[in-house]
Amino acid sequence: MGNSAKLRYNVLRIVVIGVGVVLLGRLLWMQFNAEEYREMARGNSIKEIVEYPMRGEILDRNGEYIVKSRVCYDVMVVYNELPDEGFDTTRLISILDISREKLDRELRKASDNRSAQTLIVGYLTQDNKLRLDEQNIPGIYTRFRTAREYPRKVGGNLLGYVSEVKEEDIKADSYYTAGDYKGSNGLESAYEELLRGKKGVSYYITNSHHANLGAYNNGNNDIPPQRGLTLTSTIDIRLQEFAEDLMEGKVGSIVAIEPATGEILAMVSSPSYNPDLLVGRQRGNNYMEMFHDQRQPLFNRSAKAKYPPGSTFKLVQGLIALEEGVLSPSTKYPCHEGYRYGGRTMKCHAHSSPLDLRDAVAHSCNAYFCYVFKDMITNSKYGSVKEGVRVWNDYVYSFGFGRQLGTDLYGEGEGYVPTPEFYDSRYNGRWNWGTVLSCSIGQGEMGCTPLQMANLAAIIANRGYYYTPHLIKAIEGRDSIDRRFYERHYTMVDSVNFVPIVEGMWRSVNVSGTSRGAYLEGWDVCGKTGTAQSSSKTPDHSTFLSFAPKNNPKIAISVYVEYGGFGSTIAVPIASLIEEMYLTDTITRPHLIERVKNFKPNYGYYDRKQRNYDAKRNKQ
Amino acid sequence: MYEYNYISSKQYDNRLFGNVDKVALGLYIAIVLLGLLFITSASYDPNAESFFSLSHNYMKQAMWLGVSGVVATIVLLLDRRLFHMFATPAYIVGIGLLVAALLFGREVNGAKAWFEFGGFRVQPVEFAKIATALMMARVMSDYSFNINRPIDLIKIGAVIMLPFSIIVLQNDTGSGLVLAAFLFVFIREGLSKYIYFPIIFTIVLFITSLIFTPLTIFTALLVLFTLYSLLRHGSLAGHVQFLCMVLLGALLLSLLTSLDGYVALMIVMSVAVIILLYFVFKTHTLSLLWPIVMFVYAMIFVPASDFLFSKLEPHQQNRIHTFVGVVDDPQNLGYNVRQSEIAIGSGGIFGKGFLEGTQNRYNFVPEKHTDFIFSVVGEEWGFMGAMTVIVLYIALILRLMRMGERIKEPFGRVYCYSVAAMLLLHVCVNIGMTIGVMPVMGIPLPLMSYGGSSLLAFTILIMIAIRLDASTSDNDGLSL
Repeated sequence: MGNSAKLRYNVLRIVVIGVGVVLLGRLLWMQFNAEEYREMARGNSIKEIVEYPMRGEILDRNGEYIVKSRVCYDVMVVYNELPDEGFDTTRLISILDISREKLDRELRKASDNRSAQTLIVGYLTQDNKLRLDEQNIPGIYTRFRTAREYPRKVGGNLLGYVSEVKEEDIKADSYYTAGDYKGSNGLESAYEELLRGKKGVSYYITNSHHANLGAYNNGNNDIPPQRGLTLTSTIDIRLQEFAEDLMEGKVGSIVAIEPATGEILAMVSSPSYNPDLLVGRQRGNNYMEMFHDQRQPLFNRSAKAKYPPGSTFKLVQGLIALEEGVLSPSTKYPCHEGYRYGGRTMKCHAHSSPLDLRDAVAHSCNAYFCYVFKDMITNSKYGSVKEGVRVWNDYVYSFGFGRQLGTDLYGEGEGYVPTPEFYDSRYNGRWNWGTVLSCSIGQGEMGCTPLQMANLAAIIANRGYYYTPHLIKAIEGRDSIDRRFYERHYTMVDSVNFVPIVEGMWRSVNVSGTSRGAYLEGWDVCGKTGTAQSSSKTPDHSTFLSFAPKNNPKIAISVYVEYGGFGSTIAVPIASLIEEMYLTDTITRPHLIERVKNFKPNYGYYDRKQRNYDAKRNKQ
Repeated sequence: MYEYNYISSKQYDNRLFGNVDKVALGLYIAIVLLGLLFITSASYDPNAESFFSLSHNYMKQAMWLGVSGVVATIVLLLDRRLFHMFATPAYIVGIGLLVAALLFGREVNGAKAWFEFGGFRVQPVEFAKIATALMMARVMSDYSFNINRPIDLIKIGAVIMLPFSIIVLQNDTGSGLVLAAFLFVFIREGLSKYIYFPIIFTIVLFITSLIFTPLTIFTALLVLFTLYSLLRHGSLAGHVQFLCMVLLGALLLSLLTSLDGYVALMIVMSVAVIILLYFVFKTHTLSLLWPIVMFVYAMIFVPASDFLFSKLEPHQQNRIHTFVGVVDDPQNLGYNVRQSEIAIGSGGIFGKGFLEGTQNRYNFVPEKHTDFIFSVVGEEWGFMGAMTVIVLYIALILRLMRMGERIKEPFGRVYCYSVAAMLLLHVCVNIGMTIGVMPVMGIPLPLMSYGGSSLLAFTILIMIAIRLDASTSDNDGLSL
């Protein structure tokens, strides 16, 4: 071999060895990143499935189910994995119980994002899920869900509903991922974190065809889901059902509270709806129907509406004046069908005159409380009417008005209490006691939620304090509920001053007055009617505030029927029936139920509104 | 004609098995058995009723191994003169088979390159490799052969281009490019660097111009060129000065005239080339002329190939891009490579253990028992296993080259080098593909990938080399 041949041989040998070194070098380099590759290999072959927990259930105060969970499944499709040769769609639509058009539509939708799981249809029953599993169609998956069931079909607004999370929910709380469900409104929303439980995860081994080849590491790495907690509500569901039934066809609200604890016994917002309507495949349609209903069945009036309290607010005026020493229980004022001031008259109905505080409460005398309120805010010790109103404001706030009470309900309203600043801006600073006089009888700018009014009933029943009203009394596995519900909130009025007011309320029911219709043999019912003006063109709102018995009260209640007329007309019998039902568990006056049910308020206002709304919608 | 036939064949035939190169044979057996082992792992089915059923790929491969053993023995028993005698007929038969496959063959994966005999598929291109190697050895061992003579260059070019063009027509370009391995043989046989260097340079330029921007290529070329000149002429300061002047000049020009960096560099380099040429002729440093010519060639070739490439139809562009691994192709070969890399990378130093690779067991690497068998090695036996395989191949290739060198007559040498070169190209491209440094060309890992044709063809290729070597080793004084 010549020299040049030998050189070429050696160079080529180096080339060969060089190739080997380059390959080995690359292998070594990959070696430095072995962990990264291992992660990818694991990601390939170990897949995780989120295991959804059962959503927590809700019992009423007597242990009866209000909200139950039942197993159901979402059906998902991954378009890419569907068999190329097609599959038995006829059978599929019969199992899924959907139309062929719907299936085609959903499959088209799924073809937009071919490798992602897309929902075809929800609420598949367990039986149908098993039938679907038998079909074993690749690319069709099911996802465990719980659907809500409501044995009594009442309490729609109170309970809220469960709906798919929105993008902002996912952003706000990392627990959620797209397609998850979460409570909306009512208790479902307020106690979401307890009810939802905790998602688990299971790992399984998969191959390149996504087939499940069994549990990874015998399931040792799996985290089982934790079911949501069972909540015990303060609601008496039978009472709730009874109350909703009485409110059928009426617009308004009922709130009943156990004064000694602040537990809400019943909370009706009417019109209500069957909560089952917001579960299942018709959910969207049902929701939209209610959404367009101008009586607003989806609006929780009992916690959010702002109603003029009307005469029931006279109780508060009396209490404040007594505490401030501008009124004594024996003070008498005359009333000749009204109170005249500055050329105007605050009208009143016919009753004997003059009256003392008790009888003024019992007969709901407007003139009496005009005197009281004027004496209060114009008292020289405050220096000015403005300051007088400011002191009055503080008292009213201490009764829980003009602010949220801090219940455990989602989206509680505040109501409204007019302030000197409000009048200043409205009247350019030129106003006097006469301008604000309508507040004396709970009219004018005053606004209260039915819950605040029921809370007032509880305050008077307790002679001066309240517990924050709440809807949940016990949480599974916990000794107590939130501590704020164990705190007594005292008003600025001494309990001594409640005595004549309570006496007046008792007389109104048991001796003579506007609330006679609430009389219940042996139960010492106390009550105060209200007839709140809405506008000159529409009927008045009928309202009644009551508690019973007089000593050791067990129930405090506020009934508000929009456009129901006098307080005694409809609010009194409704409240009385609910009290009887709760206290005695029987109804001795079935004719009263008939009367309540047959009573149809004039809802011309809502009907006009609905007509205008529909006309506008149709135009669009 | 057989001027080197001065040794009595009888003497050798008697001592045949004593003269075979035991190292090469041992390496061959080791690689083949490792291949069977990993095919077993790649196609093992724990749910199968019978481990030894012939329906398993590893059992089919074991059967092919048996066939290969028989054929190997026959080859080793043949008279070495037969190979010389039958080189031309074998080549003609090989070409005939390729044409037959093109006309009557079966299409697999888009390539019309297969014959089917009752369940077994045979790829004639594998046997065409043997025929071409024999023919090349035959042509190049001709007494009057001179590799740098144009007529002989045309001859060897024709020997390659004939099968190559048929293979391309079969739509199996990847297999055809294996014939480029003969360049390795030509270099050994003394091909002038003025021929092979421009060829290699053009190939490298073409591929890099598809992957990198021209600016990158020219900056790299400039640095390499300066380095070369520095090594030959010293004077570090002068070369650094030159490099800085050109680069800074281009930068300045680009900034001042807002010309594209690449155009600015081209202008400055053109000026530099003219100055350099003036310098070269003035000082008679002709050694620099050759690199300057190559450089100017690159300056013309890169823009020209870019221009030509832009004139191609999009699907043709895509095919070329796919071929050099720039874009993913419709067959999703990028996915295969990714999964293969994950498999090998996750194997670690010692691997996950035989039959324990998740990428392998759960079928994440497509074609894992054929073209991607190396990913199974890497995943289950880790770096140690992969290194063992690579070392075995490199050792076998080096051994074949050494055998070629010690065979005195050119027929054997050219033949051994041909086998070594084809092995090298297969190993380099196949393993490079599984670890993501080579484009996917669809060529198997010789002796290890599942497939009877390939195993049998490489067995014959190597056995002929061993046979040729055994015939001469006894009285060959040359020791390397």
